[in-house]
Amino acid sequence: MPPRLPKKLAQLPFSLGALAPQLITPTPVSIRTFGIRSLNPPKNSPYNAGPDLPVLKSTPAAALERKANTLPLRTGALAVKKGMTAIFDPESGKRIPCTVLQLDRVQVVAHKTIAVHGYNAVQIGAGWKHPTNVRKSLLGHFSGQGVSAKRHVFEFRVKDESGLLPVGELVHADWFQEGQFVDARSNTKGKGFAGVMKRHGFHGQDRSHGVSLTHRSLGSAGPSQGGGSRVYPGKKMAGNMGNEQNTVQNLKVLKVDRENGLVLVHGAVSGPKGCIIRIQDAIKKPWPTIVEPTEATQATEASA
Amino acid sequence: MASFSQLARQLGCSRPLLKPQPLIQSQISSRSITSAYSPKPEHAPFPTKIPEQFLSQIPDRFKPRIQKRMKIYPPPPSARAACKDPITTVKESQLAVLDPTGERGTLFDYRRNPRSVRVGDILRVVFKNGDPFSGVCLSIKLCGIDTSFLLRNELTRVGVEMMVKVYSPNVQSVEIVQRTQKRKRRARLYYMRKPKHDMRSVENVVSNYLRQQSALTGQRPSSGKKR
Repeated sequence: MPPRLPKKLAQLPFSLGALAPQLITPTPVSIRTFGIRSLNPPKNSPYNAGPDLPVLKSTPAAALERKANTLPLRTGALAVKKGMTAIFDPESGKRIPCTVLQLDRVQVVAHKTIAVHGYNAVQIGAGWKHPTNVRKSLLGHFSGQGVSAKRHVFEFRVKDESGLLPVGELVHADWFQEGQFVDARSNTKGKGFAGVMKRHGFHGQDRSHGVSLTHRSLGSAGPSQGGGSRVYPGKKMAGNMGNEQNTVQNLKVLKVDRENGLVLVHGAVSGPKGCIIRIQDAIKKPWPTIVEPTEATQATEASA
Repeated sequence: MASFSQLARQLGCSRPLLKPQPLIQSQISSRSITSAYSPKPEHAPFPTKIPEQFLSQIPDRFKPRIQKRMKIYPPPPSARAACKDPITTVKESQLAVLDPTGERGTLFDYRRNPRSVRVGDILRVVFKNGDPFSGVCLSIKLCGIDTSFLLRNELTRVGVEMMVKVYSPNVQSVEIVQRTQKRKRRARLYYMRKPKHDMRSVENVVSNYLRQQSALTGQRPSSGKKR
């Protein structure tokens, strides 16, 4: 057995060698004082340094810049789809089909900010859930922000910090103005496990002419040996249909009722009655001009 | 030197022999087969009253539990409770404008109103722009704000049907020209589209009715009576 140095002495030269260059050239990356430390700390490349370099396209900063034009200035709201009816336009006498949406105790729960999370968003909650039915961790999240337990929680992305409505603020139906356009985002009606004829509109096969037992099947799933003897990715097959998110864009707000929390939008919205709908300012229309209503409501809330 | 160290290493195996040997013999002689009974040591409870400065040193599970009561906030007033049935609310707010007296609704509510329009009656509708349309009523759909009725007539020897919304602001008046002779046993008289049962044109009946009306009121039969 060859003689061995004690452990402390053995590691001394290596640790000195690893630390020495770091001490001489200060790196922008903060050196952790705990945990597993990399043997190859990130270095500044001399080829990618300069004041006028363009922002790389694959960075979070570039992604935010690309999204800047399509992100709404203010938050949206959560609503419950109550069903469809119609209203008659008093001037033209035209019947306008509409969907009735109800906003129930919609409240700002939390914020997501660029500094902490990398993007700006408002976390909105709606409805009410009995606190005993809410997990303690989630209840702590609500209580920490000073709001009641919510049944539904969703996020609405906004362009910048000015769109972050204060936490605890209620979003009423008159958050949307009559005549403005909104996008409604919700899950479609679930159809269960559906075959290819229903799910993808395949034509199926013949009723007769020798076809047996495969009248509604998809036929071939792909080429044989020449094509690789495999099923290509994305092949349309039978499977679960519906219950997937769908956005209906540019729905006109026909009517707004603050007391009852009602918002009437022109036309249909995806999903069954009672489903949760996320409505936000339409991204393909000019942003609505928000003026007195919010200030007026704030004033009334302050006085009340 | 090297030869000495090698030698020393080889002799190293004899090192235990050089150590003073313990007295194994005497130990064996003192041991007996039965072991002495020793009671199980009693579990000493963890001291409850510990000065605060020692709390950080003891394990977490032994630290006295401070019950943190989470503050639970009450929910804000509910819009859902204020308006349980929004579809009805929207319907009623519409009807308050379109049919404030409830006249149109009762005229077609054949379930409750015995004097209402029945299927098989001949009706005459005048629209806001002055266009009249008359025909035999084939069906009445009671459907809230979308309540409508279907009229069938024959114009230029072609069968024509028109679905009219009862509450539409474009409908100025609806009048009953002729009641059906016998109560129809169907709610929807779609069989009247068949040539065997087709009533063909109702123009004669309507023109007779208009003539009588004008004789009674002494006016020109331009606009119908509003119901």
